[in-house]
Amino acid sequence: MKKLWKFLGSMRFAILLLVILAAACAGGSFIPQGLDFQAYAARYSERTAGLILALGLEDVFHCWWFLLLTAFLCGNLLLCNLSRLPQLMKRTKAAADPAQLSAPSVTLEGLRDPDPVFAALRMPKPREGADPQGRTLRWSVKNPVGLWGAWVCHLGILLLILGFALGQATKEEYTVYGVPGQTKQVGDSPYALCIRDFRVEREADGAVAQYSAELTVLDLSDPGDPLAVDTTASVNHPGSAFGFKLYQNSMGDAATLTVRWDGETVQETVLCVGEHATLMDTPLALLLGSVIREGEAVGYGYQIYVGEELYDRNVQWEGDLIPDFQPYQVSFSQARAYTLIQMKRDRFTPLALLGGLITLLGLFLAFYLQTCKLWAVREADGSWTLRGSSPKGGALFAERLREAAREAETKRS
Amino acid sequence: MTALLNLENVLFYIVICLYFLATLCYFLFIGLKRDALGKAAILIQTLGLALHTAALVCRGLGAGRLPLTNQYEFAASFAWGLCLVSLIFIHRFKFPVLGAFAAPVILLVIGYAAMQSREVRALMPALRSSWLGFHVSTAIIAYGSFGVSAVLGLIFLLRERMRDRGFWDLHVPAREKLDLISYRSVCLGLLFLSFTIITGAIWAEQAWGSYWSWDPKETWSLVTWLIYATYLHLRIRRGWKGKAAAIFAVVGFVCVLFTYVGVNTLLPGVHSYA
Repeated sequence: MKKLWKFLGSMRFAILLLVILAAACAGGSFIPQGLDFQAYAARYSERTAGLILALGLEDVFHCWWFLLLTAFLCGNLLLCNLSRLPQLMKRTKAAADPAQLSAPSVTLEGLRDPDPVFAALRMPKPREGADPQGRTLRWSVKNPVGLWGAWVCHLGILLLILGFALGQATKEEYTVYGVPGQTKQVGDSPYALCIRDFRVEREADGAVAQYSAELTVLDLSDPGDPLAVDTTASVNHPGSAFGFKLYQNSMGDAATLTVRWDGETVQETVLCVGEHATLMDTPLALLLGSVIREGEAVGYGYQIYVGEELYDRNVQWEGDLIPDFQPYQVSFSQARAYTLIQMKRDRFTPLALLGGLITLLGLFLAFYLQTCKLWAVREADGSWTLRGSSPKGGALFAERLREAAREAETKRS
Repeated sequence: MTALLNLENVLFYIVICLYFLATLCYFLFIGLKRDALGKAAILIQTLGLALHTAALVCRGLGAGRLPLTNQYEFAASFAWGLCLVSLIFIHRFKFPVLGAFAAPVILLVIGYAAMQSREVRALMPALRSSWLGFHVSTAIIAYGSFGVSAVLGLIFLLRERMRDRGFWDLHVPAREKLDLISYRSVCLGLLFLSFTIITGAIWAEQAWGSYWSWDPKETWSLVTWLIYATYLHLRIRRGWKGKAAAIFAVVGFVCVLFTYVGVNTLLPGVHSYA
């Protein structure tokens, strides 16, 4: 059992997981996600389609084995950090202890003054004491916090994955679309969204600069006393209300479908492109396919269905009537833009963000605050023997140290 | 505005010529083993970088925004990042031979930029964000660093095969040092790639309402991150230094190039403009 725990927290297991996860992500990006058997069979072959569905490759990033791998990665990071914590604390404490100065990677003998070398390597001011043999010892340790880099980075990744997973599991997400003036129920939530205004701001050359929606979110939990919050949602600047963030997600064309009988309006419906409405009590349905703009003229591409069968398709220009519905007078008018608002509440986004920032801090500590030790012992002849070690600096640290010592000696002579 | 864009156009072609000349000088430096040619190559590359910077500034001023929003601008900036990081490493480690391997890659990337449409178009609303600068500029430094680490990996692999050991011993650091420089370059790249991913996630959360949506570009950035994280762990766990690490650095950069070019052409997603 102990062996199993050790393996689950080992670097060998971490490497294995990283490789498998990289391969799974790469594979998932090549296989189109979210299709059904027929679509995969048409694209590849029936056998391949069966294999894709059996292995869950149609939804790689949410399938059980991918989630299991991610859970193993979290377990690995946690066990690794827990097992390394006492050792790290010990090493950090030892870094400042002159009795622990051993295993140098560089030794330079016969120096007349070690202080310029400490300064050249930007080491903290050296402390003075005596080594076990009673000789004068000067030592300095730079960036002991760097020892914690990998540990902090692991912690950050753990929080990041945790925040993402919790967010995915608990988030509330709805989409609402409509034209200004409409109020719509937000999914099965106790909220309603009123679209007060929707603007498309344009540059002088006609290019779209911004989409902006003025919204009111209504909390209808207590129908007798509804609460309302006004907010504005535009691209890159989500609005907020009742813990939800409101995103200006998309937009499109909409128009008003009017049905008149004997000059009197008997049905009026706002249709967004792609939506349909059943006409009065008839089996006929009218779908708004597109809104066409040719100079000043506006046309409405429509399709008429009888039950589920397409009966006719055509374009009705503004001011005309759709001829197929006599004696009803049916027409589209008032072409305008509709907005699609995404409402989302994810309480764990800050945790994921914190995880990301801690990961960055960890990487910075690991790569750019490298721990190095430098210590000098005064020999009986009055010369100094300088020793240094930097676990990550290796040959580069040794070279810098030698150069600094050479320069210091040259200056002195 | 038009005058600035015209100036950028002229500067861009001068920069291509300078990078070509620098590549030629580097090759002659290795072929003829004359130090003066190496120094000239570095000088020409530095001049190229200065004019390249000026071209990007002109593009930015002419377009009225950061020049980081389409394939041409990103490729031109990627080449700039590669040039900058390689020059820093050349100066820092007194290592002109690095230029001989980096310059052709820079030329290749700027050549790719030259093949893209250079039309200045208005930015779509999603790209009008202050995060654009952070996100893309960190990506440029990350890609540049990974490019340099791959070049160093190649030099490492070729170093032993070179016949004229005297020249190589004089101008190319020892294998251990070469390996460490490549490692440093990967570290720089990984740090900046992490910045890229995180700033991208923050921006995506504001623009699209989701900080991670498994878009192909996001996914391949993660794949790249995982590959380099594996590289770092293998260095510690199995002592994968030297040859294995050099091969890994080259393979990692192939993955970076796929993330940059391959994803845009083969796996379109919300990043298809980049």
